[in-house]
Amino acid sequence: MPETTIPPPPLAARPTKPVSEALLNEKWDRCLSSLLIRSSLGLSFGVVFSVLLFKRRAWPAFVGLGFGAGRAYEECNGSFLREGRKEGVRTVRP
Amino acid sequence: MLRASLRSSRAFGYKPSVASAGRQWHAIQAGRVGSGSVRGYADEKKPSIADSRAPVLPGSASTSTSEPLPPGRVAPTPVTPATPTPGNTIPNVPLTPPPPPSSTASVPPPAPTPAPKPKKRRFFRRFFTTIFLLSTLGFAGGVYYSRVNDNFHDFFTEYVPFGEDAVLYFEEREFRKRFPRIADRQGSRPRDTGASVNIPSQSGVSWKVAESSKPDAGRHANAMKPDAPKPKEAIQNPTETKQEDKVKAVEIVKKADTPAPSKPTVPAGKSPEPVPQAKPHHPVTAEPVKASGQSPVPFVAPEVDQPSKFPPEVTMIDPINIKDADEPVVQDLVKMLNDIITAVNADNANQKYSSTIGKAKGDLTKVGSKIKALKAAILKEADAKIKAEKEDFDRAAKELIRRVEAEMQHQQSEWQEEYQTERQKIVQNYEQKLKAEIEKANEVNEQRLRNGLLEQAIEMKKKFIQDVKDKVEEERNSRLGKLSDLSNTVNELEKLTTDWNSVVDANLKTQHLHVAVEAVRANLEKIEVPRPFVRELAALKEIASDDPVVNAAIASINPTAYQRGIPSSAQLIDRFRRVATEVRKASLLPEEAGVASHASSYLLSKLLFKKKGLATGDDVESILTRTETFLEEGDLDNAAREMNGLQGWAKTLSRDWLGEVRKVLEVQQALDVIATEARLQSLRVE
Repeated sequence: MPETTIPPPPLAARPTKPVSEALLNEKWDRCLSSLLIRSSLGLSFGVVFSVLLFKRRAWPAFVGLGFGAGRAYEECNGSFLREGRKEGVRTVRP
Repeated sequence: MLRASLRSSRAFGYKPSVASAGRQWHAIQAGRVGSGSVRGYADEKKPSIADSRAPVLPGSASTSTSEPLPPGRVAPTPVTPATPTPGNTIPNVPLTPPPPPSSTASVPPPAPTPAPKPKKRRFFRRFFTTIFLLSTLGFAGGVYYSRVNDNFHDFFTEYVPFGEDAVLYFEEREFRKRFPRIADRQGSRPRDTGASVNIPSQSGVSWKVAESSKPDAGRHANAMKPDAPKPKEAIQNPTETKQEDKVKAVEIVKKADTPAPSKPTVPAGKSPEPVPQAKPHHPVTAEPVKASGQSPVPFVAPEVDQPSKFPPEVTMIDPINIKDADEPVVQDLVKMLNDIITAVNADNANQKYSSTIGKAKGDLTKVGSKIKALKAAILKEADAKIKAEKEDFDRAAKELIRRVEAEMQHQQSEWQEEYQTERQKIVQNYEQKLKAEIEKANEVNEQRLRNGLLEQAIEMKKKFIQDVKDKVEEERNSRLGKLSDLSNTVNELEKLTTDWNSVVDANLKTQHLHVAVEAVRANLEKIEVPRPFVRELAALKEIASDDPVVNAAIASINPTAYQRGIPSSAQLIDRFRRVATEVRKASLLPEEAGVASHASSYLLSKLLFKKKGLATGDDVESILTRTETFLEEGDLDNAAREMNGLQGWAKTLSRDWLGEVRKVLEVQQALDVIATEARLQSLRVE
């Protein structure tokens, strides 16, 4: 094989730190996705329970939905509260 | 429920088929008894229950079959009286488990017992044969491997019985094959394998005086070489036995055969002759002892006395001999005579031979005297000869001495002549050398004198030239002084020009600096996409090679700024607009805002009115408007200051933008500093 100078592979684009103005938007995105996932999970659990145990009543499904949504909301709120002060600041652990 | 249904279904259709199948199975099994797995069905009613027939083993039921009963515990048919004979069964007898005789079942049935016995025997036989074969194989293998491996050889010979013998045997065989010659030599004597050697009690040294009679049995048998026992004994005997015995033996020998030329010797002159003498007469050796016993009684007494009588006679003859003992011939004759005398003495025939012997003695003495006379004559002749020879030698010696002396004198004279000539030559040589030395010394002296003269002449010339020079210089000095003044002025002019040159160089340098700074600034202003400007900065640094101010200014710039480039003002404004919308969304947030407050702020911020110009107030909206106006005016510094006043989420959102603005400001400041430095230098030069 002839010696071909292979150009060095381009540096893997590191997931760069998001620009500061996009921080809030990213948080919102994450919150909404988690809300969707958790509420749908809760709903599905509720449906299963209603079929198995509660003679196909509607309320267990809603309760499950509420649980999922509430959990997502709680997480989101926590993230906003926690990160509000030191958002974008990396704390180096000792 | 499911199980119940299944069971019911089985109750309907399944059972008959199963039963029939079961029967079929049995039929098949009748053919091959004990083939192994017999399928059983739990829900099948045993045919024996329905049937009133007694359970019959497959082989035993039919009359036709001649198959033997299967081994194992079987219902003992022959014992019970009620059991049917193989031909006909008793139908109505209730089926019962094998009645009391079942006790026999506990006892091993008679039929199976003989079967295992041969097996056992065979088994033992086989077992032993296999063990034997294995052990022999193992032993053979061990022997072979011990020949190969040294370690194993040690182990094998030490721990395996008979291992050492076997290994040794094989080793010896191989050794013999390899070196047949050595092996044959050794073959006569078997290898020392530790076999016990019996040493008879009689052998070895003991305190006992050896007896001649006993050795017949013991010593002869144990002699090293069985084919030659007699000479040994013959040798042994004369040493140990007394003189008298010897004499006796001689006598007996003589009796046996007189013609044998026997010579009993005087004990001093022991000769090996007895050995050959004894050899031919094998029985003789044994005889002497017997003979001593057998010898006639009247003969013994005189024999014992005789030696005491005879020796004086023999010794009487000896002194005669001693006189002529010088000659060996005479000695031999004397010996012969002595022998004859002893023989005669032994024969006891003294009277017969005494006269002849006396005659012989006389003859002998005569012969001795004759020989003496002959000797004397010969001696005299020899003396005369010796004297003549001596005289001859003396004469020759004298002549030799005379000749040597003459030669010596001749040589001395020659040497003296040579010495004289040599001495004269040496004297002449020395005289010549002396003359040459004297001439040389004279020449050197003359040369020295001439040199002195030349030196004096040179000094005189020098003095003359100096005088002339001095006079010329005095005349010239007035003109030369003026010339030196002129050259001094020219030098000063040159210095001035060089000074001006340095000024021009410095000017050029500052100009270069200006150009470089302008290049950097132009590059930064022209670009639309941020681009690294490392090269320009490096050029700038090189031009202002050792200017501390410029170096410090360049060092103050953030490295990322010149490695990645800085955004232009248009880009900054563009980005500020994007940031401003995001900040506005978060403008109404309280402290410790959760999701609800964020959402409400996002919604309500859309309802806010927008300000314009330099609005007053510390709220986010007014700060943003002020910054925008500053940016539009191109006042980056103030814009950055305004944005820096934000708090909380608004500040975090605008942090990146602020960092960029700061970088741009740093670069601008550094460039300003460098430019002022360049201007200052250009001013300083003039």
